[in-house]
Amino acid sequence: MKCEQIAELLPDYLEGSLAPDQLRDVEAHLEQCADCSEEVALWKKLSLLPVEQPSTASRVRFEAMLQAYQAGRSNQPAGNPEWKKRASTASVFHWLRSPLGAAAWSAALLAIGIFTGLRLAGPKPPSPDMAAIQSELTNMKQLVVLSMLQQQSASARLEGVTWSTRDQHLDPQVLSALLHTLRYDPSVDVRLAALDALSRHSAQPQVRSSVVNALQEQQSPLVQVALIDQLVEWHDREAKPHLEKLRQSPDLNPTVRQRADWAIGKLN
Amino acid sequence: MLQVRDGAGEMLGVLFDRYQTPLFNFYSKLTGDRTLSEDLVQEVFLRILKYRQSYRPGTPFRAWIYQIARNARIDHFRKFPRERVFEPEMLPPVIPADSAQEQQEVELLQRALALLPEDKREILLLCRFQELKYEEIAELLGCQLNTVRTRIHRALQELRKSFHQLTQGTALKRANSAAPGNIPPRGGCREV
Repeated sequence: MKCEQIAELLPDYLEGSLAPDQLRDVEAHLEQCADCSEEVALWKKLSLLPVEQPSTASRVRFEAMLQAYQAGRSNQPAGNPEWKKRASTASVFHWLRSPLGAAAWSAALLAIGIFTGLRLAGPKPPSPDMAAIQSELTNMKQLVVLSMLQQQSASARLEGVTWSTRDQHLDPQVLSALLHTLRYDPSVDVRLAALDALSRHSAQPQVRSSVVNALQEQQSPLVQVALIDQLVEWHDREAKPHLEKLRQSPDLNPTVRQRADWAIGKLN
Repeated sequence: MLQVRDGAGEMLGVLFDRYQTPLFNFYSKLTGDRTLSEDLVQEVFLRILKYRQSYRPGTPFRAWIYQIARNARIDHFRKFPRERVFEPEMLPPVIPADSAQEQQEVELLQRALALLPEDKREILLLCRFQELKYEEIAELLGCQLNTVRTRIHRALQELRKSFHQLTQGTALKRANSAAPGNIPPRGGCREV
């Protein structure tokens, strides 16, 4: 094989997503081609580049930015061009770092503190933007949960599932992400957590039907047993034919079959 | 009311804790400027707050956040045209590695990366250092998956060339004391 042909396969080789026969071809080529093998070596070395840490002041600046944004949000109508213009330029941050900026910044923080203190102490003003802020919060939560459920590490995805349980009301987008997690997440723990999170929303017809469908799809006995238990807890009589179908499956784990029998008895 | 607002802040705080270091490294390795990188990270979070409605659920979240990050950088350089280019002297010190040779190699690699044109450096950082999948990069750059593969390969080729130049320079300094290690002999290969 020539370098030209390998070039097409190399990125997938680096990602580890080549089919076995292609993998053999690429490895054979790398054995005898210095240039290509050097590229692979460099690719591997890229992961050795040092991870730099941002300064500790970064978190403080973030908090200040948040405060400023929120103060602006309640004081001024949304879309005030002057405020937007000022806040969106990085030059603000340049200025904040200068000694004069730092002093002004401290003063501003103090002012925000006094302002919020007064607001808290004084009679509560009517809040026409309460609904807007409420939806802002819901939206932010949704964004966090959806981002967490896409993380590579299973523990981060678990955290995402946990975040989703913080709300009584389940956002439709989050619901569909959780259903996707229940079906396809590679980690058993994350799937179990998703089932647990979904179990609080049994009133949604979509949730019940997904749990029933998952019964046929899931291969892990742990998840299968958890699904069966959930259906029993819901007294879902419509699940009975599905349970019967499951216990007919030839390769079914004996414990799962026992559990299915028990469930069928319970649902009678 | 304040509690509700703090809630939204807490949510953004979760994203900040998770993404500030990767974003900071994306910028610092791209620009070689720590101060600017910190400014741009703040800008990204301000934009997330303002434009969070623009995230389409079901699409890769990281592609969205890096889209914001790229735009923030482009906007910044539009407003403040570059005063300085990436100088290898701005590179961070390499943490001592297992061996002196490895440490030197990483240093050379940093320099070689800094020598690449920005778009090539960016794509290598995205897939190797930010660990974006090729699909996510295609979504981010608005191009086909195959184009991403081609561009990664071209960037890697160029990285090899600049790394080579640098190692040859270093090797000369060492008066050719060491022969190249276990690199197989060259043969039958042409550049693509």
